[in-house]
Amino acid sequence: MTPSADSPSSSRNTLEQAAGTHDRATALRRAALLDGMLGDPLDPGNPHGFTALAEFDRDRRPPVETEQLLAVAGMGSELVPVRHGGMLARADLLMRVLRPVFRRDVALGLGCGISSSFAASAVWAAGNATQQSSVAALLLGGGRITVVHPGLGPAGGVSRDGFTLRRPADGRPVLDGCKDVIMDAERAGAFVLHAATATAAGPHSHSALLLDPARLPAGRMRLLPRAVTPGLRAAVFSGLRFTRCPVPENAFVGRAGEGVALALRTNQINRCLLAGAVTAAVDPVLRSAVSAATANSAASPARRWRRPLAGVFADLLACDALAQACLRAASLVPERAHVPTVAATYMISALLGDALDELSAVLGSAGRQGDGLPHGLLAKLTRDLPAAGLGRAGAAACQAVIVPQLRTLANRSWFVEAEPPPGLFGESIDLPRLDHRLLTFAGDADFLAAYLAGSAERIACARAADGRTALLGRFADGFLGELRVLREQCRALPGRFGASMSGPWTAALSDRYGLVVTAAAVLGTWEAEEDGASFLADPGWALLALSRLAYRAGIEVPNRPEDCVTGVLDELLSRQRTGRGFDLDGAELTR
Amino acid sequence: MVVFTTWGEWLPALVTEPRLRHLLGRDWQRYRRTGDPTVRHRFAAARLLLKHTAAAALETDAAELDLAYKIGGRPHLRGLRQIDVSLAHTDELIVVGISRTGRIGVDAEPLSRSLSLDVMRSRVCTPGEQAVLGAVEGPALTAAMLRLWTLKEAYTKALGQGLRLLFTEFDIPHVIEGEIATNGHSGLLAPDGAPAALDAWAFGAYRALDRYLVSVACHDAVPAAPPEFGGDGLCDEESMSLVSRLLCQEP
Repeated sequence: MTPSADSPSSSRNTLEQAAGTHDRATALRRAALLDGMLGDPLDPGNPHGFTALAEFDRDRRPPVETEQLLAVAGMGSELVPVRHGGMLARADLLMRVLRPVFRRDVALGLGCGISSSFAASAVWAAGNATQQSSVAALLLGGGRITVVHPGLGPAGGVSRDGFTLRRPADGRPVLDGCKDVIMDAERAGAFVLHAATATAAGPHSHSALLLDPARLPAGRMRLLPRAVTPGLRAAVFSGLRFTRCPVPENAFVGRAGEGVALALRTNQINRCLLAGAVTAAVDPVLRSAVSAATANSAASPARRWRRPLAGVFADLLACDALAQACLRAASLVPERAHVPTVAATYMISALLGDALDELSAVLGSAGRQGDGLPHGLLAKLTRDLPAAGLGRAGAAACQAVIVPQLRTLANRSWFVEAEPPPGLFGESIDLPRLDHRLLTFAGDADFLAAYLAGSAERIACARAADGRTALLGRFADGFLGELRVLREQCRALPGRFGASMSGPWTAALSDRYGLVVTAAAVLGTWEAEEDGASFLADPGWALLALSRLAYRAGIEVPNRPEDCVTGVLDELLSRQRTGRGFDLDGAELTR
Repeated sequence: MVVFTTWGEWLPALVTEPRLRHLLGRDWQRYRRTGDPTVRHRFAAARLLLKHTAAAALETDAAELDLAYKIGGRPHLRGLRQIDVSLAHTDELIVVGISRTGRIGVDAEPLSRSLSLDVMRSRVCTPGEQAVLGAVEGPALTAAMLRLWTLKEAYTKALGQGLRLLFTEFDIPHVIEGEIATNGHSGLLAPDGAPAALDAWAFGAYRALDRYLVSVACHDAVPAAPPEFGGDGLCDEESMSLVSRLLCQEP
């Protein structure tokens, strides 16, 4: 199928009509429309397909035509909250709308979506009404906004680059400093820039500023040359230098000194959104691997590939369960979501890395070494994930946010906190709209750990019903036991930063914690679907996902029945044949 | 870095180590369940060697490290994605490999092990490798087969896929014992499944204790993380310190 966008205006009208009420059905419909507009990704003649996008990546050129299509289709309005005139109702629904883009190209999804979301979220969370309406107008008009951190690691680190805002005795504040790698510095209509406003380094040293480059005095802001990055090669990164640049008094987003806290509050959502959307980029790699493994027999893959293929599919479902739960929590229990949401980013990037490893063996086999589209997709994704902050450095940045909070959670939340209200899993309950102002950093709550305790109890009561449900209960108990061990170990952590907080032991604790909350999300998703008739209602996928999480955690658990692999594999092959996505929705994809 | 020893050398340390349970961590149950004392001691010694080697390289205490396993069994240091480790043993020999530049795989076999040429030809060798083996005979053939077998094991262990990758599907460059060889365009893969860059893989085969062959495959992962996302430190200490100070409501 070729792209179905007849003309820009008709595309836009179609999407706006589809918006209607901002519930799940319309968001999924917009996602499907977008998928249709972008056309069959496997069609080599499609200008928005894998082949074309791979060429842009190789040539380090942005895919302007596809970017225009997305702008015209109203991608910008997806990033603007409903109360500011856009279509952003909930973060989990935004993830669904972004997935068709990420499935085709991570750089495109970042450039046309999440990069602007990183910057705009600060304005939705802490900006004043004028700032909010100007950013809304920019995005609704198809423009971009980008964030300029001081050499920010994904969670908020500081590097050699940076900006300083000084206030001379006689006048307006002036900005100095530079940074070399900023996404879309050249194309953004606005910046959210983090500048040092205090002389001493510390958690209150930086402030966020909203700047309109067109309104800055000439010659004080200079665009530096494009930076060459190892991944996301089609994205345009370049540098910015400010030299004694006067900045308006009303440029502050929130109060002075709140920059780090603001970044921590809003990054949790955007990083999780990114990780959750990127799972869609693994979809075509798994699809290629299934094709490769079934090339010689139409029915079923060779025996040695059955476990890895079914296993990766189960891991993708676990990633989706985790991302959706955390993004829904941002609407439902924003004050209880911070640490689990950062852990979700950490775990999803780890699980996707593992998935690419397992799939590389399938793709690397049987004479299909190294050439063609499947390998191109896999290699590109392997480059793009670290560049998008979902690699080693990104993991360390997540751990830096998780570790200092584990002690508090162990003391005040785990095994104490009440179960969250219904609505975090499944789709049966309408959720409140996302309100960025309610996002918190550093609560003493953890909705997923609280859910796990309740879930284990419920499943224990139902054990008599079915042997596989009983097995699920034993997994739930296993992870609850792991949380109990973690509680003891995390209570012993220091309260303040020091060598004993930054060592390998605490890095391992954050990893084990991530596995526990992932298990909780899998159990929650299964419980929400239990009474339905879908594939997700069967415990098989959850058992397979949990058994892989338990193996990674090193928890002693019973062996899973072999028919779990068979059931999940059957579903995988069926979705492959019918062209449906490898996520919880399983929606039909354009082909 | 590759380190080898015999489990016998570690036996006194195993018996007297008061922190053995702590050091073995999640492997303690498996250690306890293993009936055969030789297998049990070798299992424990291998894990202690790995932890002590990594601890020395990272300038930390071995008890700080948590050894975990990926799906498929590849060991890794939990929470430290910057470090790659590999473990092998045969008879009394234990070998540990550790790398900060990318994937590493180690394998070991007794030099006395004799492989069947027929099996090697049908199950292990590519046509090119068959031709190389066809050109030698006697002890040279035995040694060449053992080198090839252990190098293929090391390479697949580095990729993390164990025996799921068929040995007949990739060529290993010709390695002379004691020397390092790198890959040409021989169809080897990078860990992402794409063709490996020229010279990205380094292979070596070495004699250990005069009676074992130790083979190593090491991938040099370039490029590094972009400047955008910080350096390659084990921990993002700057961020952690900021977060911690913010939590403590420090100025």
